[in-house]
Amino acid sequence: MATSHASVSSHAKAAHNPKLQDSRCLSPLLEWMKHHIEHQTALETTILKDCTYFTRKEILRLHGRYHELAPHLVPMDYTNEPDVKVPLALIVNMPELKENPFRNRIVESFSEDGMGNLSFNDFVDMFSVLSEMAPRELKAIYAFKIYDFNVDNFLCKEDLEKTLNRLTKEELTPEEVVLVCEKSIEESDLDGDNKLSFADFENMISRAPEFLSTFHIRI
Amino acid sequence: MELTGLNRTDSATAGQGYYSAGQSLRLRRLSSRVSNQNATPHFDWGSSREGGEDGNEEEPQNVRELPMPFGLRKAVRQVQQMRIPVASRRMRQSRALKRFSAEAKNALALVTLWRRAIHQIGGHFGGGVQSYFVFLRFLVVLNFLSFLLIAAFVLIPGIVFHSLDLSSSVPQLPNSTNITGKEECMVYDPNPGALTVFYTYFLDLLSGTGFMEYSYMFYGYYNNTLVVANGFSYNIPLAYLLTASFYFIFCFICIIVRMGGVARVAVTTGGGAARSYSMMVFTGWDYGLQGDRATKLKKNNIRYQLQVDLEEERIKLKTQSQTLLQTVGLYSLRAFLNLVVIGLIIGAFFGITLATRYSQETDKTQNGILDLLLEYLPSIVITASNFVVPFLCDQIALLEKHSPSTTIILALLRAVFLRLVSLGVLLATLWLNITCNSKPDECIPCGYNYGQYQCWETRVGQEMYRLALFDFLTTIAVLILVEFPRRMVVDNCSWKLIKWVGRQEFLVPPNVLGLVYAQTVVWTGTLFCPLLPLVNTIKLIIIFYCKKVTLFHNCRPATKTFRSTSSNIVFFLVLMFGWILATTVLIYSIAELHPSFGCGPFRFSSTMWSTIPNSFQGLSNTTQEFLRYVGSQAFSIPLFIFSCVLLCYVAAVASVYGKSVALLRTQLQLEGRDKQFLVKQIEELTQKLGIPKHDRDPMVLSHGGAPWEQQQDGHS
Repeated sequence: MATSHASVSSHAKAAHNPKLQDSRCLSPLLEWMKHHIEHQTALETTILKDCTYFTRKEILRLHGRYHELAPHLVPMDYTNEPDVKVPLALIVNMPELKENPFRNRIVESFSEDGMGNLSFNDFVDMFSVLSEMAPRELKAIYAFKIYDFNVDNFLCKEDLEKTLNRLTKEELTPEEVVLVCEKSIEESDLDGDNKLSFADFENMISRAPEFLSTFHIRI
Repeated sequence: MELTGLNRTDSATAGQGYYSAGQSLRLRRLSSRVSNQNATPHFDWGSSREGGEDGNEEEPQNVRELPMPFGLRKAVRQVQQMRIPVASRRMRQSRALKRFSAEAKNALALVTLWRRAIHQIGGHFGGGVQSYFVFLRFLVVLNFLSFLLIAAFVLIPGIVFHSLDLSSSVPQLPNSTNITGKEECMVYDPNPGALTVFYTYFLDLLSGTGFMEYSYMFYGYYNNTLVVANGFSYNIPLAYLLTASFYFIFCFICIIVRMGGVARVAVTTGGGAARSYSMMVFTGWDYGLQGDRATKLKKNNIRYQLQVDLEEERIKLKTQSQTLLQTVGLYSLRAFLNLVVIGLIIGAFFGITLATRYSQETDKTQNGILDLLLEYLPSIVITASNFVVPFLCDQIALLEKHSPSTTIILALLRAVFLRLVSLGVLLATLWLNITCNSKPDECIPCGYNYGQYQCWETRVGQEMYRLALFDFLTTIAVLILVEFPRRMVVDNCSWKLIKWVGRQEFLVPPNVLGLVYAQTVVWTGTLFCPLLPLVNTIKLIIIFYCKKVTLFHNCRPATKTFRSTSSNIVFFLVLMFGWILATTVLIYSIAELHPSFGCGPFRFSSTMWSTIPNSFQGLSNTTQEFLRYVGSQAFSIPLFIFSCVLLCYVAAVASVYGKSVALLRTQLQLEGRDKQFLVKQIEELTQKLGIPKHDRDPMVLSHGGAPWEQQQDGHS
């Protein structure tokens, strides 16, 4: 798509220079250009629309938000899938995420490299899973990833302790923390290995009626 | 293992950042092998074109539900698009149906009343408070639909016939009545004098007398007209009676349906069990919270809840280790305190009886505020007792030393008992007055206490109307006079005592009880005051907005979270109790009491019920035969037996499901242990045979079977 960018700019320059071309020949070209760009935009939003739970309008609005995060980094118009990735530090400053104790883990879980740098597709993906239209199973999968701090596909005691400390801003006494973690694992661990696998987690989530409404960010 | 070979050949063609088909083939084979216990969606790259057959009923996999990174999902979608699906007609139909149901659900969500407000409330204050507002919304919809029902069959025909002034407004005399000698009973003069002071209109609006008494609002205005014109016949008394009955049945069905939905949620989530720690930790945080204050409050809330739960455990352990003497002492203390509570409640009933009798019997000659107060006396006494007695019971409950959850349930039960039975006491007193229990000779001429009540149904309707209105006024008054000033004092005054008292907390049980009480009043009163559901609808809508305002401005989030799943069922059970009370009142009034001669649609019947047998004669012979058969024993006993059989079947099916759930759970556990055993064996074997580490693939089996398995090697 870089070539089309170049061609657009060159033709735009040509249009402004009356000596080069007759404007009557240029305007259909510009029309085609605009149509082509819109078509590409429509194509990309179609891909995003099919792969996430957002409508086309919402995707365009999200792109506005994404652009606001790093205006110099993200191109204004949404033409192609650029290789731009906004770093973690900028994303966790969004008002929707700023106060969330798990904001770093959320962004890391949705990034491809695991370091929290989100491309626009990952960004839309993140908010799609966190929206109210995503099904429970999908949310449970990502919730598991978020709470799995050491990324070993198990929720072990350390993961739980970290989760609990972030939840209560470390105001529980250490004994209470240990007690709560022990009881949590005791309640949900089905295969008896003293840590929670995804199956245990999903089983526990299926019994929590508020999960769908709490694991939800409105954007 | 052949999979590793496949892995090697394909890693060379590893793509530009998303998996190539071969590597994903491995994923597919993997997940189908390892995961009996993972019912997770995995993408079937190799699925055939005609996805309709061989059991793959569901549609080309929904790309959105795949838990893969975005790049991979895009590839999946592209592959799907390339496979031009030869969609069978069945698939197309099912797809259209799915799309239609999704659209319908979206539309329904838009139409749902106050959806966004309730979601906001749930986000800030939790599920318990949200359940109150959901309950309120349910009652609003119920009352509005009831009003439509009543309007369609009673109000609008009444208006039409009144305005058309049809000739058959001559009172219809059923054949069997004998009204000679009862002329004095037929005198009913509700209209006030022609010249009245302006403010009396306002007083009349509040008390239901005066200009309001002889209006569509109350029973007395409706005539017992039987309109027969051009082959169209409409029998107002019958319509009135049947509408009242259907109203009750409709409410019953709505409550049952709603309760079923709530119970289903409670059963699937194992409701009733103590709030589990793991759920608190993993689902306690509301991701939608924004703003510094809300998050701080939520963190405090979670911390407090965990500490309370731990405290309950400690108390439980302590009580288990009590000596016998202490246990006996505690139980006798509790028995004594229960007696005290019962004594208080009976005292309240006595007060209500006295107040009602006094209010009904004194003559209200002078118009004015004093008269208004006198008319409102029963309502005032009831409301006062509803405030005072639960407060005292709460103080007593502190001495009883139950666990926090038991205390809440006990307080709720006591308050329910107090409120609903005090309403029953009021009605019983009225009834005793009407049927002149104390002075039997007053009832002889007309069959009811004509001296006091020229039109007793309207009086009862007025009493219910006043109860409803007074309840509404009290709520608003408490809001304005107590909650807002309290917040202003707490925020601006820096005394320690004030800070310790703190802001108002939105307590769910008393509020819900208020709603149930108001709804019971409406149910008992609708027979005598047909527009009461409309009054209640408007009242509940105003209360919704007022409560919402006070919640956000004056209340702090509850420190004790109210468990919403099990308590939802309790709300509906209490509502059902109110419904039963109202039905008893309805049945008694219809079947036993003599309607007034001077007013109403049942003027000349001996009881309200007798309209039905009378109009029964008017039906055709076949209908009569059919209805007689339905009412006879030959039909009802087989029906009863059949419903018993159905009940047993449903109970058996439910227990089988419960057992299979338990079985599956044990199976899950066993499989987990099998897996661990196998992993250990593999490790031992490979160690023994000396196979180098990177050729082994133990990570495949030792991972938790998570559905987003990413291969550890061969990927950039």
